[in-house]
Amino acid sequence: MKWKETAGVLAVLIVLLGLPMMLKYWRTVGMIHRYPPNTKVIRLTAVADGGLWTQDEIVGYNYWWRKPTRAGEIALNQGDHVVVQLHSADVLHSFAIPLLHIGPVEVPAGHTVEVAFDANRPGDLTFLCWQVCSPEHSKLQGDFIVKSNGSEDSW
Amino acid sequence: MATAERILTEPVPQEIEKKPWRFDVFAHLPWLKGLVRMRSFQFLVILPNLFLFYLFLIAGFFGTPIGNRNIIIVFVWILWWFVLIAVMMPFGSRLWCTMCPLPFFGDWLQRRSVVGVRSGKSPGTLNKFFGLQKRWPKRLSNIWLQNFGFLFLATFSALLVTRPLVSAIVFGVLILLAAGMALVYRLRTFCNYICPISGFLSLYAMTSTVELRSADKEVCLKCTTKSCIRGSDKGWACPWNVYMGKLDRNNYCGLCFECVKSCPNDNISLYLRPFSTSDVALRGYDEVWKACIMLMLAFSYSIVLLGPWGWLKDWANISEKHNWGGFGMFAAGQALLALVIFPALFYLSIRLGKWYARADDVSTKELFLKYAYMLVPMGLLAWIAFSVPLIMVNGSYIVSVASDPLGWGMNLLGTAEFPWKPLWPQWVPFAQVPILLAGLYFGLRGLHKVGSQLFKDPTQLFRSMIPPAVLLLGVTVLFLKLFIG
Ligand code: SF4
Ligand code: SF4
Ligand code: SF4
Ligand SMILES: [Cu+2]
Repeated sequence: MKWKETAGVLAVLIVLLGLPMMLKYWRTVGMIHRYPPNTKVIRLTAVADGGLWTQDEIVGYNYWWRKPTRAGEIALNQGDHVVVQLHSADVLHSFAIPLLHIGPVEVPAGHTVEVAFDANRPGDLTFLCWQVCSPEHSKLQGDFIVKSNGSEDSW
Repeated sequence: MATAERILTEPVPQEIEKKPWRFDVFAHLPWLKGLVRMRSFQFLVILPNLFLFYLFLIAGFFGTPIGNRNIIIVFVWILWWFVLIAVMMPFGSRLWCTMCPLPFFGDWLQRRSVVGVRSGKSPGTLNKFFGLQKRWPKRLSNIWLQNFGFLFLATFSALLVTRPLVSAIVFGVLILLAAGMALVYRLRTFCNYICPISGFLSLYAMTSTVELRSADKEVCLKCTTKSCIRGSDKGWACPWNVYMGKLDRNNYCGLCFECVKSCPNDNISLYLRPFSTSDVALRGYDEVWKACIMLMLAFSYSIVLLGPWGWLKDWANISEKHNWGGFGMFAAGQALLALVIFPALFYLSIRLGKWYARADDVSTKELFLKYAYMLVPMGLLAWIAFSVPLIMVNGSYIVSVASDPLGWGMNLLGTAEFPWKPLWPQWVPFAQVPILLAGLYFGLRGLHKVGSQLFKDPTQLFRSMIPPAVLLLGVTVLFLKLFIG
């Protein structure tokens, strides 16, 4: 009988510790490994309140008192293969990088939308929300700054 | 006055003496009995739910704030709620309590075991429990706290069912409270007197098509150990403090099956029985008010969701509109309706019926308590009718959220982007109307059943029933108006 008790307690501990560990692993390691090696994964969340894109996580516990930092400039290196994971914390936004003819793609609240590109030339790549999502829509933009490695001209 | 004696001493009409149909499940499915007798049975059914609710909590705190993309909202308020109200309650009594993970840590602290049982001595039992083992105050030994707790949560339902964090905090607090109370008080005090879910589980379990009962009350009378309530080395003392020898209603049996393990006379079995037929006695004002609160909440939700009044929707929707003044009016109005107006109407109908029937030897209180049973099947079926469209319209979220439970961009099942698609929305009223009419039917039938225990004269019975029946009919018509539009 004793082994059943031990097995039971063990099962509970596995649930209590294993689940967060599994999720953490997926979030930090598993997710990145879905992409080819050396991919630069950037998470961008659109926030209507204040009108900004942020690299912070907007999740349940910080949603109410969040003060997300604006992702105004995101540094990239020339040659980076970039995957942008787009989220929306509130309403329907959309995403575009006009210079690369990327988008506009819709970013519905709670969904994850991916956009990929190669930063093969140095310079500034403006990204922005492409549809009037909220009063502060016009502020929803930022730049990828691609640093040159001297091999090619700018965009 | 004297009514209780009258019921006890006078011969009951034939129709009532005839026992309702019962089918002994354990006798026909011995393996099922073997299963629930396993010491590890309850642990094994709780464990998956512990995993799920733990995931829900994590998702509430660390998952997307968007409700319909977060598993805690979709699985709890769309899937679980529907299964609970439309399947488990009517067909499984308090089967949810068998597998509920909320009191798990409390039980663990109290028993210091998750599977095994320990004999010994603790106040009132033959098991060794840990903790202070205090007695719960007598004044609070009713479901009033649950009534108010549920009404309170229901008032904030617009937040609860859309904001993952709010749901996570509520469930987290319930788990902590259950654990804390287990350390201080005896047995499942939390479940008996605090758990806000428990109130309506207890009420609607009365209608259920299953019951766990002692097979032969005579055996219980002669039983010296009373192991079902006191515990033994085979099973814990009934966590709900239920004595099987006297149990005649489902309300406060949490179906933990400890008594099946502990009864030395093998005198407990699971029975099937007809819907809304056997347990028809409400035993206190707390239970009557519970019935009123539940029915009126279903009503008020239907008004807000289905009614044509936009301003009311805005008032109730504190989650998006932040109009606290309007919300206060809505909350006060809802509470007034559930706690005062409807109970007053019901009371009035009882007085009227009593007067019309010239029922001088039946007290108003007794009529009030007894006739309130009509609100039980009506309330349950109104809730089911109300919940059916919720699952039909929002069921597709279950598919997408199962694949991406936290809204992090996982795709475990490949269905993360399963589109939102209402299931046969045009059929919703066709499902709702028969369910509601069934509620009316079972309500009236219940009324007749309890009435015929009180009155032998058919005219008197009929007259006493008319006003409450009219009230029930009125409620049904209002519901129908909202459902059909
Ligand atoms: S009463 Fe509440 S906490 Fe207790 S088992 Fe039932 S649902 Fe769970
Ligand atoms: S232990 Fe069994 S026989 Fe004894 S009172 Fe309880 S149910 Fe009846
Ligand atoms: S009577 Fe008590 S011990 Fe038996 S199943 Fe119900 S709650 Fe459990
Ligand atoms: Cu925008």
